[in-house]
Amino acid sequence: MNWKKGIVALPLSVSLLLPTAGIVSAQNGETHSAPTVETPAADLRATLGHLLSEHAYFAIETMRKGAEGAADFEESAGALSDNTEDLAKAISSVYGEEAGKQFHDMWSNHIGFFVDYVKATGNKDEDAKQKALDSLANYKNEFSQFLETATGERLEADALAEGLQMHVNQLIGAFDSYVAGNYEKAYEYEREAINHMHMVAKGLSSAITDQFPDKFNNTMAVTPASDLRAKLGHLLAEHAGLAMMAMQNGIDGSKDFEASAQALSENTDDLAAAISSVYGEDAGMKFKEMWSGHIGYFVDYVKATAANDEAKKEEALKNLEQYREDFSNFLETATDERLKADMLSQGLQDHVEQLIGAFNSYAGENYATAYDNVREAYAHMFTPAKALSGAFVNQFPEKFESSMPSDMPKTGMGGTAQQQEFPFELLLAGLLAIAAATGVVLRRKQIER
Amino acid sequence: MMNVLKLLMPAMLLLSGCSMAAQSAGDRDQNSGMQENIQQEDPLRTLPDSNISKTDSDKEIIKDNREGIIPDRLQIPAIGVDAEVEKVGMLSNGKMDVPKNDENVAWYQKGAQPGQPGNSVIAGHVDNKTGPAVFFKLEKLKKGDEIKVSGSDGNQRTFVVYAVKSYPRNEAPLNEIFGYTYRSGLNLITCTGDFDHEASTHKERLVVYTQLKN
Repeated sequence: MNWKKGIVALPLSVSLLLPTAGIVSAQNGETHSAPTVETPAADLRATLGHLLSEHAYFAIETMRKGAEGAADFEESAGALSDNTEDLAKAISSVYGEEAGKQFHDMWSNHIGFFVDYVKATGNKDEDAKQKALDSLANYKNEFSQFLETATGERLEADALAEGLQMHVNQLIGAFDSYVAGNYEKAYEYEREAINHMHMVAKGLSSAITDQFPDKFNNTMAVTPASDLRAKLGHLLAEHAGLAMMAMQNGIDGSKDFEASAQALSENTDDLAAAISSVYGEDAGMKFKEMWSGHIGYFVDYVKATAANDEAKKEEALKNLEQYREDFSNFLETATDERLKADMLSQGLQDHVEQLIGAFNSYAGENYATAYDNVREAYAHMFTPAKALSGAFVNQFPEKFESSMPSDMPKTGMGGTAQQQEFPFELLLAGLLAIAAATGVVLRRKQIER
Repeated sequence: MMNVLKLLMPAMLLLSGCSMAAQSAGDRDQNSGMQENIQQEDPLRTLPDSNISKTDSDKEIIKDNREGIIPDRLQIPAIGVDAEVEKVGMLSNGKMDVPKNDENVAWYQKGAQPGQPGNSVIAGHVDNKTGPAVFFKLEKLKKGDEIKVSGSDGNQRTFVVYAVKSYPRNEAPLNEIFGYTYRSGLNLITCTGDFDHEASTHKERLVVYTQLKN
């Protein structure tokens, strides 16, 4: 396998960013330069985090749709498959076409085993279920070999493959919980599976950038600044994904509606905690209030749709409009105008349109459009994540200073090292120690006398 | 005058005796090569083999719950180390700080906690101005040796050595030692090689790479 030679210089970039004012463009790898979220390595991490977590999201949703025998199962599976195409492209952009293709086949296979598992569950065929599980277990070894070739580091590859195996187990766990009617646990699994894939992305992007430092401008995928960007991307995209499913469950009157709304609310708590960590508790509370408010307006919209009440729908949209303005101003003030309210407002408008659009299409049974919109809404969130984290880091650089030392510790004083030159200082120290211990000074005085 | 010399002799021997030990260590490092190839070694699993099983609704969900500990005590039975762990950060010149007491070791608290994903780092002195210090025998560690780290809460993590490397002091791969990894690593650092009097430091740095056993 020589596809490592086919490296393309730059990682796939999915960032269509909101412009942010005054972001310092120094590199993360160097100490003493201002921390930044905008590095090639942080971009790679964001891309992998986006696509891997989106995979987990659609895989779980698609399995759920499969279990339900939902009308939109095919389109949901289509979104999962489109995600695979994008992941393979990202892998190709780093490792070349051949590796991308290899990845694509392997990844598609593992999705196939999940489909087998879902079908076997539907048919109550325990043997077929076990067979699917066995196939998924083998996939770990295959993946480990792929990653070893990719990262050139077997220990790291083994660890990452273990991580991907855990991903498999989490998906099965989410599905089994759902089928068993334990919806709370099913959504707990979904959130953990999304979180887990961001951890895998963290490890994978770190391994890739360590392997090809030149291709990533010697920047590091894991820094306090890129951690913030990754965290916000994770939670904002998860918000879009969970909001979408809660809206679908709402209009369908699904049994898992409560559990999906609960998961969305827990996501809000995590987002508020992230805001608090930068701006303090009060700002976090204020954020939570506004954010929960906007989720409430979406709920109003869903209810109005169910009731065919155009006036109420209109009212919900109007409230969302007001929220956009309030929230944009809140962020402009918080960031000392590093983020501009009108820019933010436009970004929020996109978010609202994507979710409402996806929901309307879903309610109108236009599932292909619905899932295109869901993918768009999920991807979109990584743009504000970059802009927000960039502004936060720029505003409080001291909170995001590199934790990497620029030099090794000085762990020796030479007392046992070979002496090539005569160590007067040491001899003197030794002499004094012995003198003190044995009373040499006194005796010498006696001799001299 | 003769008496003075006689009295000095034991001190000189003591110094040169230790120097020889350090020298032979330096030779061994050179022989084993700077870039010991860790990929040829047996895989050491960081994570327990996760078996696929059906989810029981009473069970906790499957998740990566590798938590770290704030280290208080470091034990390395193979070389008789049992040391207190100081907590240090970065000096203003960008160097990792070192333990104040040369019988103690120091954990780099800006990095990962032992047990968490990522590399945690603990450094110790090889010697003080007159003789051996806590990590004097660190170079004797070999693949498979175990390191135990305990926290104040009584929790313990065991790590296993998978590579021992030494580097000229300005050429150590800082990313590899301090940077992020998906594994839970613990890297032990001390000085090795000749003492450079002009720079007032040893010429090389020894790194013992270990990872979480379970």
